[in-house]
Amino acid sequence: MPGYERAEVTAELTVRSPEDKNEAFDAAKRSAGETGLARDAGPEALMLAGGRVEVLEAVGKVLEAALEAGAREVNMKVEAEADADSFNSIDP
Amino acid sequence: MSRTASMPAAPARERPVTPTAPGKVGESMARPDGVSKVRGEFEYSSDLWMDGMLWGATLRSPHPHAEIRSIDTSDAESMPGVHAVLTHEDVPGRKVYGMEIPDQPVLAWDTVRYQGEAVAIVAADHPETARLALASIRVDYEILEPLADAEDAMKDGTPKLHLSGNMLRHVKIKHGDPEATADVVVSGEYEIGMQDQAFLGPESGLAVPDGEGGVDLHISTQWLHVDRDQVAESLDLPPEMVRLTLSGVGGAFGGREDLSMQIHSCMLALHTERPIKMVYNREESFYGHVHRHPAKMSFEHGATKDGHLVYVRARLVLDGGAYASSSMAVCLNAATFAGGPYKVPNAAIDSYLVYTNNPPCGAMRGFGAVQACFAHESQMDKLAAALGVDPLDLRIKNAIEAGDTLPFGQKLPAPAPVEEILRRVKAMPMPEATEVMGRDVRELPGGVSNVTHGEGVRRGVGYAVSIKNIGFSAGFDDYSTARVTLSFEDGEPLVRVHTAAAEVGQGLVTLQAQIARTELGVERVAVLQADTEVGSAGSTSASRQSYVTGGAVKAACEAVRDRLFERVREALGDVGDLVIENGFVVSESGERISVLEDVVGADEIDETVEFHHKETYPPDEDGQGDVHLQYAFAAHRAVVEVDVELGLVRVVEVATAQDVGKIMNPQALEGQVEGGVAQGLGLALMEEIQVKEGKVQNASFTDYLLPTILDMPSVKMEFLELADPDAPYGLKGVGEPPTISSTPAIVAALRDATGRELRRVPVRPEQLVGLTEHPPNEPPQPGSAGYADIGRLDKRLEQ
Repeated sequence: MPGYERAEVTAELTVRSPEDKNEAFDAAKRSAGETGLARDAGPEALMLAGGRVEVLEAVGKVLEAALEAGAREVNMKVEAEADADSFNSIDP
Repeated sequence: MSRTASMPAAPARERPVTPTAPGKVGESMARPDGVSKVRGEFEYSSDLWMDGMLWGATLRSPHPHAEIRSIDTSDAESMPGVHAVLTHEDVPGRKVYGMEIPDQPVLAWDTVRYQGEAVAIVAADHPETARLALASIRVDYEILEPLADAEDAMKDGTPKLHLSGNMLRHVKIKHGDPEATADVVVSGEYEIGMQDQAFLGPESGLAVPDGEGGVDLHISTQWLHVDRDQVAESLDLPPEMVRLTLSGVGGAFGGREDLSMQIHSCMLALHTERPIKMVYNREESFYGHVHRHPAKMSFEHGATKDGHLVYVRARLVLDGGAYASSSMAVCLNAATFAGGPYKVPNAAIDSYLVYTNNPPCGAMRGFGAVQACFAHESQMDKLAAALGVDPLDLRIKNAIEAGDTLPFGQKLPAPAPVEEILRRVKAMPMPEATEVMGRDVRELPGGVSNVTHGEGVRRGVGYAVSIKNIGFSAGFDDYSTARVTLSFEDGEPLVRVHTAAAEVGQGLVTLQAQIARTELGVERVAVLQADTEVGSAGSTSASRQSYVTGGAVKAACEAVRDRLFERVREALGDVGDLVIENGFVVSESGERISVLEDVVGADEIDETVEFHHKETYPPDEDGQGDVHLQYAFAAHRAVVEVDVELGLVRVVEVATAQDVGKIMNPQALEGQVEGGVAQGLGLALMEEIQVKEGKVQNASFTDYLLPTILDMPSVKMEFLELADPDAPYGLKGVGEPPTISSTPAIVAALRDATGRELRRVPVRPEQLVGLTEHPPNEPPQPGSAGYADIGRLDKRLEQ
């Protein structure tokens, strides 16, 4: 019976740095790890998954950490799970 | 007014003749797939075939924990007959998937977290070529220490398997006074092994590219739409370009709820522009799906001197393995049912779900309630012993009732006949105690492997009762969609029913036809193949499809009927209430007022309806809330015989009473109960995936023991039909409860026979003869087997 605990929002962040440095991605991962919402999502990507408020708050921190460490490009894909409970009352 | 009915207590293999005529709700109907499955003629997804297809295969990590330094596919790519070799770099979209949290790599890139994790996939023109190609892929691993113990995973300083650590979820329930004290206190530590769903049809499917960038996947699964959405996400395609059709499913029990080769086969199909068939063999199947969570549980029960529960305190640690799958929900279920079906005024419950490097765990029949039930029922027996009362009477005294508050704050809705099912089980006649000496050896514990004359055989009796939620919970918008069409073909009315609900062997196709016949009064009903062309039906899990898809089919039939009657009223005016009978529209007085064919005409009447059940809510920070939709209850009595010298067991009989709301199909219900008891018996006595340092030791049906027909006792069953006012036809889900309390009932009977504590399932022979607790004071006397030479039994065990 899965699904009913599905994460309300996921944010996938892909972090790219100049040359071959990965300090920015490492910094982003460290920051993401501290949020309690993070998993790996690819060689240069991480995933934040959880409640809408928590994820959006965490996104800011991770972006800040990545940019601070020299990231030149962060691509982000944010998706909302329509079946999650907070969306039940919202008409499509 | 509630109604009560009971089924005849028929022995398991003596069935009444099933009517072959089309049946309605409440009638026994044979499954259309039954005969062909028994004859070996049924077409499973592993039988799918297309001209020009290629064979897909998966390279899996041999290590439970390792870093990947490099992957060299060059040799495989140059092999004749190999059409594709793909790694994580070839995943077009999201590189991770997951039902609740996307945390599992489609193909691993830098780390593997469990033995069997997919690293690369190939497509070749022959399965053997594919196997050779896999063997030629060189993966350079740096092997890491596996984190194999869930308790260790929770400790500070333990390496993190995922970015945010190893704790996947902690559900805390605070109810009443968590510091309450009691006259009588019992505590216990319990453990449950990793059970496999052990479905007989291994994972398999056929992916067919459509030539326009999309793909059709024929697959055995439990939840077509969630599969589709995850596949589309990783293929970077819009969902409508990924179409899934249910193929022949050889059992599921939760093990097909998560993805196996769905994304892999579609990637290969799109890459090669050829159909791709993938079939796991039995060993690979053990690595290819999630299992039941192993758990370690500490429970403390406090009661008054007269046997009323005062409090329950519990700590449950469930091992989720490497990836989340549906573990978050399992964690919640284990927490909410830790109190059992009892009046518990005070509770403090902590349920933890952690990541390890063990095989990923997820959905399996009973879904968190199985683990909790083994512990709380063991505790109730212990409490009864401490109080000096009958264990069944203690359960009856504390049985929860409708209107009582569960430890997670929800008022239990009616019907909740816990006391009644316990009394039913108590009243069922006990099986005759036949003389052991001189008995046919096949009827001794252990059957023909019992080399004694039965001198050490003791009989025991045990009871257990369970509570289980039906349907999705905690705020999920749970629904199913049904499309129903009424038309005329060859002068006969025909109803077509189309849903995306997965028939996994439980009889849902039959049920949909029964509902359509009942609601529309038409005999010819065609249930179309489930696919994603119609709206989601949700998963075939949580014992929910009869309720939710049954409700959707019923509602769609009602909509068709309403439109039909509207046409009649447009033509004839107000003609009162109408029904459809034998090809006519009939008035309340029984007068045939319209010919059905004339009303339908050349136009189909076609309605699609979504059926949503009433809302549920996630728990608050104290674990309180109206979390679940519906509750089902079952009680079991097990009678066993144990050879206390050899540790061999014969389950003589299981008797059960279950609250089912409405019997929709008596034969199917009987099958669910017997199958559930078999699975519960398996967990009690033999079924366990043996995992050592993250590695599976018994990935085969030679070494993973399953009950066979020879292990199955006769099952006496009684059913209570107390209608749930919110449910279609008043029904309750029936699939899971038979599994949940059959296990602790059997273990209680084993304790009764042996006097041993038995804190872990599956119970092993050495536990039954006491070797795991205390070496025998008097070692077995050396005999012709030569014990003198090979050492004492207990010493041998230590070696």
